[in-house]
Amino acid sequence: MNIREIIAKRAALELNDGEVANLGFGMPTQAVNYLPEGVSLIMHTENGAFGIGPKPKYEEANSDVSNAGSEPVTLPPGAAIMSLGTSLGAMRNGYIDVTILGALEVDQKGNIANWAVKRKGLWWPGIGGAMDLTHGTKKIVVTLTHTDKYGNSKIKKEVNLPKTGINCVKTIITEKAVFDVGDDILILREIAPGLTIEEIKEITEADFIVSEDFKEMEI
Amino acid sequence: MKSKVMSIDDALSVVKDGTRLMLGGFIDVGSPIMCIEKIVEKGVKDLTLIAVTPGMTGFGKSMLYKNKQVKELISSHVGTSAESTKEYLEGELLMKEFFPMGTWIEKVRAGAMGLGGVLVPVGVGILDQPGLFENLDKPKKVIDVDGIKCFVEPALTAEVAIVKAWRADELGNLEYRSTSLNDNADVAMAGKYTIAEVNEIVPVGTISPEKVGTPGVFVNAIVQGQTVEQQDKTYRELWLSQGKLNIEE
Repeated sequence: MNIREIIAKRAALELNDGEVANLGFGMPTQAVNYLPEGVSLIMHTENGAFGIGPKPKYEEANSDVSNAGSEPVTLPPGAAIMSLGTSLGAMRNGYIDVTILGALEVDQKGNIANWAVKRKGLWWPGIGGAMDLTHGTKKIVVTLTHTDKYGNSKIKKEVNLPKTGINCVKTIITEKAVFDVGDDILILREIAPGLTIEEIKEITEADFIVSEDFKEMEI
Repeated sequence: MKSKVMSIDDALSVVKDGTRLMLGGFIDVGSPIMCIEKIVEKGVKDLTLIAVTPGMTGFGKSMLYKNKQVKELISSHVGTSAESTKEYLEGELLMKEFFPMGTWIEKVRAGAMGLGGVLVPVGVGILDQPGLFENLDKPKKVIDVDGIKCFVEPALTAEVAIVKAWRADELGNLEYRSTSLNDNADVAMAGKYTIAEVNEIVPVGTISPEKVGTPGVFVNAIVQGQTVEQQDKTYRELWLSQGKLNIEE
């Protein structure tokens, strides 16, 4: 398994049967490939549907059925279409149980930054539905690689980039560790096989304590 | 009663240099792609474009940025298209701020409903940070509503709105299909002059009254777009080229 698969597989364990879920692109979407047996979700897509299914075959792709990435999807029995306004209202107003989101940075206060980096002096690429999602969703799981390509921790004492949500993240999953967000401190729940707590400390800028239920990551 | 059906050329005569134009569609799914193509062909400049997302790379709205026809974009995002990203980073496409998608649509809905604006709690304490958006006309206004801090977000309206629907009758009643509904029914009401591009034009009485997504009263012009079959072909080829769809061996 590569790093992205490890993170996606571990993130899938945070999803419970019957939850209404909105999953971000990349590793979060990959998590559905690893859903534990007996877990089925109501997938939400912000362009306006509850209950979307897998990619169709070429000849069956309907040009009026897409997900938030404007990719062709299918609508299984029980799916429901709604307007964009209703869909974003559902996000803002707490109708989404869980989201798994990618992030640029996350911190020990539960802040997340995932909508903007500076390019040529301008913030890019934009917010989309991310802020509505972090505003209202009950359980926010962040997935990201533990460090950037220079080895710097992406898990900060305080995020530097423009925030997407404040004090909202519940759980952080990397290829090396799983943390819950406590009261201005992270709680280390799991580490990847072969790593030590000392090694996690060296690559984590945020302060953390070790959970009483601390264990090895199931990957 | 006079039919609202007209040619795309006639309908788009209202789109001129400097027009404030609102377009329905979500990353160019459920977008009026024939009208957009015609606006590119017309070459009108200095448009203020109001759209929830900029579009897809190499398709639809992206040709408007590539052709440098859009002066300002009012949206939630700029990065869904390579062309919008390029023009934005080169300083050719102004975005004064980014709106959370839910805020954007509520501003449009306020415009559609004749309201002055809406009160939105999303992003307070983040989007009003000094220095984040340097080109704002005035600072974002926050008020306390019974203990909840909210932005005062003014309504968004447009001189011309163009939407995409599945089918229409000559009165302008529109029926939408699947997730292509997205923001179209709201955008249709937020324009002073509203054009609907449709897959099919049907006789009055064909669309069941309870299936009307936008009553014809809100629509000024109906134009024939691609048929469903043509549209499926267009998007399948597009998705295939983007790796979003595969032909099985």
